[in-house]
Amino acid sequence: MCRNPRIRASFLAAMTLALMLPAVLFHGRSSTAHIVTEVPWHPVAAAYRTAMFMGDLKPVPWSKIRAAYEKANPAAYGTKSAQQKLTELDAALGKEAATLIGRSIDGQDRQALYAATTRVLSRAIRIHLEAAHASLRDPSAAAARIASARDLYRAIEDFIRQADNKAFGKLGRAWLTLTSSAGTSGVLGGGASGADEERFQQARQTIDAYLIANFEPEVFTPRGKLTPLPETVVASKAPVKIAPWLPPGSSLNDQDPLPLLVLNFEMQGIDEKDLPLIAYGDMLFDSPEIFGDPATSLGVTCSTCHNRSDINRALFIPGITHQPGAIDVDGEFFNSRFNDLREDGLDIPSLRGLRFTGPYGRDGRFASLRDFTRNVIVNEFAGAEPTPFMLDALVAYMLEFDFLPNSKITGEGQLTKAASDAARRGERIFKQPFTEMQDNSCASCHIPSAKFLDRRAHDIGSQTGSYAHSQSTAFDTPTLLSTRFNAPYFHDGSLPTLASVVEWFNLRYGLGLESDQREDLTAYLETIGDADEPYEVYTGRHTPFRLAFEELTTFASTLDTLLPARDAFHAKLMIDTVSADLALDAAGMANTTAKPMVYELADILADIGKAIDAKDWPQAETRWASFKLLQDKYDAAMY
Amino acid sequence: MMPQCTDQPRGKAVSRRNVLAGAIAGATLCLSSLSASAQDELVLAFIPQENPEKLLGDIKVITEYLSKLIGVPVRGFVTSDHAAAVEALRNNDADISFMGALPFVIAEKEVGAEVILSEVYRGKPVYTGRVFVRRDSGISNMEDLRGKSIAFADPISESGFLYPLQSFVDAGLLKQGEDPKAFFGEVFFAGGYQQAMQAVATGLVDAAGASQYAELLLSADQQADVKWIVESDPIPSHVVICRMGLDRGLKDKFVAAMLTLNNPENKRLLAHVYSPDGYVIADPALFEGVRALARAHGYLR
Repeated sequence: MCRNPRIRASFLAAMTLALMLPAVLFHGRSSTAHIVTEVPWHPVAAAYRTAMFMGDLKPVPWSKIRAAYEKANPAAYGTKSAQQKLTELDAALGKEAATLIGRSIDGQDRQALYAATTRVLSRAIRIHLEAAHASLRDPSAAAARIASARDLYRAIEDFIRQADNKAFGKLGRAWLTLTSSAGTSGVLGGGASGADEERFQQARQTIDAYLIANFEPEVFTPRGKLTPLPETVVASKAPVKIAPWLPPGSSLNDQDPLPLLVLNFEMQGIDEKDLPLIAYGDMLFDSPEIFGDPATSLGVTCSTCHNRSDINRALFIPGITHQPGAIDVDGEFFNSRFNDLREDGLDIPSLRGLRFTGPYGRDGRFASLRDFTRNVIVNEFAGAEPTPFMLDALVAYMLEFDFLPNSKITGEGQLTKAASDAARRGERIFKQPFTEMQDNSCASCHIPSAKFLDRRAHDIGSQTGSYAHSQSTAFDTPTLLSTRFNAPYFHDGSLPTLASVVEWFNLRYGLGLESDQREDLTAYLETIGDADEPYEVYTGRHTPFRLAFEELTTFASTLDTLLPARDAFHAKLMIDTVSADLALDAAGMANTTAKPMVYELADILADIGKAIDAKDWPQAETRWASFKLLQDKYDAAMY
Repeated sequence: MMPQCTDQPRGKAVSRRNVLAGAIAGATLCLSSLSASAQDELVLAFIPQENPEKLLGDIKVITEYLSKLIGVPVRGFVTSDHAAAVEALRNNDADISFMGALPFVIAEKEVGAEVILSEVYRGKPVYTGRVFVRRDSGISNMEDLRGKSIAFADPISESGFLYPLQSFVDAGLLKQGEDPKAFFGEVFFAGGYQQAMQAVATGLVDAAGASQYAELLLSADQQADVKWIVESDPIPSHVVICRMGLDRGLKDKFVAAMLTLNNPENKRLLAHVYSPDGYVIADPALFEGVRALARAHGYLR
């Protein structure tokens, strides 16, 4: 009997899904809008995959690997650590794990870490299967043991599938045979059936033999990468391609609630379909195709970090992000050639009002938005050199990002009648010079009439120098507009609230602000950083899918320009993005009966791509006309 | 009132080995409960979807909420399976259990359990079972599955076994009560919707029998690779049932508290009770089809 007859289907972007497959991150390309909450892992499986992922980072975060085994993993079920679960399963195995894994960490020996953790995992699977076999007279007990073994096998299953697909099939059927031959208790005898021990034994032998040969050999072939692969495959030196993967607890989901996107042209009533350069830039902002692997395969796009031009508070990758909403973009994982060998993760900045907020980068290192954008594509995320058209389009699109409309302040940064008395009192403090700040006020850097910034970098003491007597730390003054909704604050996201920012300045500079003054100053910051509507609101048929569908079909509308221009490269890039995204987005439709219609539209776009490949432009135009007709026909069902 | 969350039912742990002893003791305990005018706690049995540890956090949240509304401590525990939940109801080790329609009709017949609430999905207290195949398999109808392999979710599952199978009976491809192997080449029970859907999506089997919503357990790209070719008759949604003899006042308070989960401000709590869209008062007549099917397959004596 299974629970949960319906698994809630709301949810493209940022919606949480009760029970979804972890495999989503590991089945080739996925897109940010479709990635969903992973099923909790077995603590030992979570620790293993975390250790293998982090073991490939450079420098290796050894202390985090140790913590992966010794502390409870938030991505795992229960409250016990992997080490506790192993000891609970088998005291001798637990002792062996603590000794060998601990020794490999102490010695910072990656190969020893792989060998020890892999053997322990494999042994744990086999111990559970042995116990299941011994429990066959009690089908419920046997089923529980099989489930635990299966939860552990999940740690290596997708790698076996990709590296040794034939064995994956054989093992998969063996697992099905195990669950089928273990019998069932039924309910009070109703529906009960006994175990088929012979079938169970055969299936168990199949799994045991494979695990022993491939995950418990006497000696493992030296590994360059620690992605778990069957030993027989590695030893054979057969070429293996494994899709990029992320450790348990990773989230590329959009944040929930989704920030509201405010585009200048849209607010003026101009249709994006009439602005093909901007529409193409919008597409590129949502396209993993502009990056290289692993970002492309994982579906990472500009909007993965900058949801709807703002931030993504939910983004998290263990080992790469020091806290949700932050990321170290110059580490080993996304582009080893760009690895700066420093743990210097940054809180993701909002891109709202981008045309007013240059220079770019937390320390203002790029004067030009175009240069900054190229650096993100080529260096941070290993993409190919973008064409001038791509950069023009991306920049044109991003320059449309506006701050959130806020009826409490004027365009010159002055409070309106809608502001509270507390905010007015706070405004006076904001503009008051402090001798402790060299006679500067908050407003000296956060100039109200200049969108609350001064376009300069300052060292305010928010980070200690990276070496003695250095002049290496200064950060660009951030705007205070729309900031009420993009906590945390400071370059590293170390301050969780605007109140804590006020407190930090009060202490750092000894301003001597009383409690009520700090509250007033906070009220002012919350007022100038406020918004009339901060988040996207879904009602009725305005669903996450509908939002995605409208965006994707707008992107597709650039074919009206690209096909007549016979621009094969840019047309194909758009089609590869939109066709794949349409099909993936269908998974989150509220109107599930219309899913086949979406697949049909995606297939037509793919056909256009094939026609372009064949240089059959008339056929491409014919299919594009078909797409538009069908889009109109299906429009009402697209939600 | 302080809620409690434990991994133990009221009294000693239940096992299938003491079914007979439990049955005898149960009659006595039920009588004593009937005569009690009030209880000092309400015990809920939860059936795990997968690993029991995954449910503990949910239980804490929902029992805290219910405790405040009902006015007595509400305690929850995780059973090993449906059988253990039914036995806990029979032995008065649990007062309430969340359950599927099939085990409910067995519990109703065997221990006098009463259905009190039904889960609602997309406005209805029903759902369906479907048979899924890979889109590129060339399989388009039931007849195409003759001699092929199929993974059902679990033998004690309405949507993941009995109802999809009944579709083959209704189509004349199997006789009522006949071994499914008379039509399919291989029949597996994968252990759950997710495992069954994975088995078909990854090509381990030709088809999977599972809930209409089980497709959503696949990743987005996998969903594009599968389609369904058979849909069963409507199946009553999963239910909340209570043991025979539960104090009526307490039962009414529990029902009223659960119905507050339908209020917009409380919807988020539904995620902690298996994520339905809401609850409605159950209609016992809705289960007649399940009873008939359970009898046909020998689940009901």
